[in-house]
Amino acid sequence: MQNKGFTLHDALFIGFCATLLVALKGMLRLKLGLTGHSMFLMTFFYLICYGAVGKKGAITVCGVLAGLMAMMLSVGKGGPFIVLKFALPAAAMDLCLLVLPTVLALRWRCIILALVGTVAWASKGTIEDVLVGLSFEVVLLQLGKSLVFGSFFAILAALLVPPVLQRLRSHDLLDREEL
Amino acid sequence: MRPILVWVKQGKKQRHLVSADSHTAQHFIVKNPKLCALCILLSLCLSSCAFFVPNQYLPFIALFNGVLLLQGRYLGGGVKGLFLLFTTQLAITCALYLLLHGGERIDEAMLAVIRILLAIIPGWWLSITCAPQRIGEVLSWCMPHKWAFVMAACFSLLPRIGLEVKDTYQMQVMRGANITPKALCRPKHWGELIYCVLYPLLIQLLKLSKQMALAAKLRRFGVHHKPTHWPD
Repeated sequence: MQNKGFTLHDALFIGFCATLLVALKGMLRLKLGLTGHSMFLMTFFYLICYGAVGKKGAITVCGVLAGLMAMMLSVGKGGPFIVLKFALPAAAMDLCLLVLPTVLALRWRCIILALVGTVAWASKGTIEDVLVGLSFEVVLLQLGKSLVFGSFFAILAALLVPPVLQRLRSHDLLDREEL
Repeated sequence: MRPILVWVKQGKKQRHLVSADSHTAQHFIVKNPKLCALCILLSLCLSSCAFFVPNQYLPFIALFNGVLLLQGRYLGGGVKGLFLLFTTQLAITCALYLLLHGGERIDEAMLAVIRILLAIIPGWWLSITCAPQRIGEVLSWCMPHKWAFVMAACFSLLPRIGLEVKDTYQMQVMRGANITPKALCRPKHWGELIYCVLYPLLIQLLKLSKQMALAAKLRRFGVHHKPTHWPD
């Protein structure tokens, strides 16, 4: 985990975001058979972290912390593998940030990050399906389904992030000048 | 096998103790952090075994998981969620197989779903036997000082966040926001949920993290090398 660069204030805010993510996920339990609804909350909080802290690695740290909290509180399917479920999309988003130009409008940056996160999330599910021994066609169908639904929810969340960040900044709650 | 039997015995004693004073209080039988680390490793191993072990060894894993399931059930864990997950997975996977391959490969689908279940049971068991604060202590062994503090802070803040979410939600519903479960069935209203509930919460969290960081700094956070942990 990256330690340098984050002030205690940043670290606490990232931690609280992760906690809120896990708490909401445990509370909502939108288990309507909707694949990918977890991408909504995940994308929203990761992007808020990115916008509010604005340092490299913030999203990954948020993801790992959220995974650890979820493991401790046994939210979702529980077990040590849930850390991967939260951390993998976060790590993918952070990697994508390294190559993403900052001149791009915030809204488009958010959407691209959301899509990258969805791909990482769906590929984790696919790897699981392959290991479990499902047939190729079924795996492909599941992958397609999670990509479609996941990206729908993720983009929905990504579109909500820039106005929220803008509002937070206009109320002078964020220390950063640039978004 | 022996340690598990010992735990069951301890659990029985504790269960009587707990049921004497309160019915709602949750109790965990693993209180020792080293034992807790062992439990985490065990559940990690079993979960990965469910994915990687070849078919002929699967019955052994299933047997082990069955023991865990019985112990978890004995300690008062709910199996309803597991059952629901298993049945929905089974239904979806079998339907897909029937659609794509016809009936002859249905046993493959069953096997795959059983593997998924076997991967989930150890985690479920872990959450029943180990106290969250002990898992946190184990995690803090391999974490930098600052992040262990952040984890501890988040953990103690969790009930407050939960209460805050509920309060804000109730107030906004009374104000007339379209965020009742019925209204939330339509994605149109999700934006309102963000502005009415999440936005105030984010402001709260930003404020709180600033204050907490200041408070910790004023109490010379990071000077002492032996951090303390939440007591039982």
